[in-house]
Amino acid sequence: MQGRLSAWLVKHRLVHRSLGFDYQGIETLQIKPEDWHSIAVILYVYGYNYLRSQCAYDVAPGGLLASVYHLTRIQYGVDQPEEVCIKVFAPRENPIITSVFWIWKSADFQERESYDMLGIYYDNHPRLKRILMPESWIGWPLRKDYIAPNFYEIQDAH
Amino acid sequence: MASTSFSIMGWVGGKRGLGGRKINSIRAQETEIQPSQINLQPEQEEKQTKVKSKPPPVTQPPQLNAKSKNMGVEYGGQWLSSVTRHVRIYAAYIDPVTNAFDQTQMDKLTLILDPTNEFVWTSETCNMVYAYFQELVDHYEGAPLTEYTLRLIGSDIEHYIRKLLYDGEIKYNMNARVLNFSMGKPRVKFNNNKEVQDLQ
Repeated sequence: MQGRLSAWLVKHRLVHRSLGFDYQGIETLQIKPEDWHSIAVILYVYGYNYLRSQCAYDVAPGGLLASVYHLTRIQYGVDQPEEVCIKVFAPRENPIITSVFWIWKSADFQERESYDMLGIYYDNHPRLKRILMPESWIGWPLRKDYIAPNFYEIQDAH
Repeated sequence: MASTSFSIMGWVGGKRGLGGRKINSIRAQETEIQPSQINLQPEQEEKQTKVKSKPPPVTQPPQLNAKSKNMGVEYGGQWLSSVTRHVRIYAAYIDPVTNAFDQTQMDKLTLILDPTNEFVWTSETCNMVYAYFQELVDHYEGAPLTEYTLRLIGSDIEHYIRKLLYDGEIKYNMNARVLNFSMGKPRVKFNNNKEVQDLQ
């Protein structure tokens, strides 16, 4: 089953892979990291002018890292706007994904959080540094192979 | 880590008479500092080749009693530290008499042991902690001087203090100002390795 955006991308010969639909019926597409920047520009021109959310997760131990983008097409007089979910998978050893900050400015802090938690390097991001953890922190806390350091905390205070 | 010498400073709560303790004394640092300051020179300094040497900001004048003023490190506004309840480690030199922070001497680490006097310390147990601190600093030599490394060292010392407490080497100071037993409630011989004798 092919969604509307997938058919449109096929018509313009843009490489992608359809991942089906989520529970709300929103189309989910997978796009290669090297194609992501150009396709993001194309999607912005297509009309997806609102990045609703950007997040990232670790797919499996030793597997890929995923960066997820939820895009919405905001228009006047529309109460059911078009939405799409884009997933970009990057290898764990050298996860580099082009930043979409210059297309959707709201990706700024969210990509920094994804960098902080999972260590995905967003290429061309203006100030990619840790946002939640201290800047001298070592390791990526939300990766599945992360081992927390044995820091002392008050444990038994009464 | 451009560590050439370390100053270890601590003060001991159990040394003074506990009856004469002023509970509300605010500047406890000035009254309880002991002059037992140890300067240790590690020998294997030259072997470290990949040491990211952080040059101390020598252009700045030494800061008198540096306070946090939201300024950069080189102005003495903040310092690298690891502060937990019983262990405070600063990458600075603290004068044991005047308590002045000398941020310009960032090649020194200063340990302040148990500033709230939760435990009763003797000089032997203090020296055990200092020796362990020296061992840890030698172990982490060559690591970058960051808060993360300092926190690793401080956490290891805290775990070591906990072990000392469980082994019965140190005890809770029952006259401490806050008595919340932050390392577990007192009990009889937690780590008792010997066999319990059967009652006949």
